[in-house]
Amino acid sequence: MLRKARPPELLIRFVFGGGIALVAAIAGSVFGPRFGGLFLAFPAVLPAALTLIEKQEGTTKAWADASGGVLGAIGLAAFAFTALQLLRSNPLVALALALLAWLLMSGGLYFLFRETGLFLRQDRFLTRSR
Amino acid sequence: MSIALIGLKALVGGLAVVGFSLIGQAGHPKRFAGLFSAAPSVALASLAMTVVAKGAGATLPYAQGMLIGSAGMIAYCLVSLVLINRLHALLGSILAWLAWFAVAGGLYLGVGR
Repeated sequence: MLRKARPPELLIRFVFGGGIALVAAIAGSVFGPRFGGLFLAFPAVLPAALTLIEKQEGTTKAWADASGGVLGAIGLAAFAFTALQLLRSNPLVALALALLAWLLMSGGLYFLFRETGLFLRQDRFLTRSR
Repeated sequence: MSIALIGLKALVGGLAVVGFSLIGQAGHPKRFAGLFSAAPSVALASLAMTVVAKGAGATLPYAQGMLIGSAGMIAYCLVSLVLINRLHALLGSILAWLAWFAVAGGLYLGVGR
């Protein structure tokens, strides 16, 4: 079931998401599209999102969200790579397949980590310093 | 690029982020929902609009830049995990931006220009 979305939280995400899209578009116009493209993979929303999660549910939950983000970020690279290979042929299909690549890569890594216990090793390694 | 197209990209990008976050909120545990924190929402919206406005050829350099930026995103997420542990979410996640700038910026200057 969808957790009840809080309007201020959605507004914050809208503002940060729209903001980085604006930055990418302006940067692309002024400095060239390759430079603008960098910002399509900039973590604009994460600080606000993680702070809200920590405030509402605690640091452990924020950390768990961030650890999922690592796998999502690897999926992001898969999205970009797939898009690059296919955009020339059928661009809208390319974007759909690129999204699928993100889903398969992120989701696949998530289940791999979960089933093999790699998450536990990751957690232990990264919390060792605490 | 026209101001109208830039404005539209911002609007659609913001809506895409909200859409993906609503999907992510349906997921649990938190770690699975976290996948959607790094979803290509803005990229999808921006690239789709560029395709419609300017054609596929115009999207290729954006996608190249995004590939470089995604390396920075991976670095960001890893560094933020360590910093959130030590410093809590807001400060940790903002300081981790330095990792994105270092990796994405370094790769762009080294091979991406």
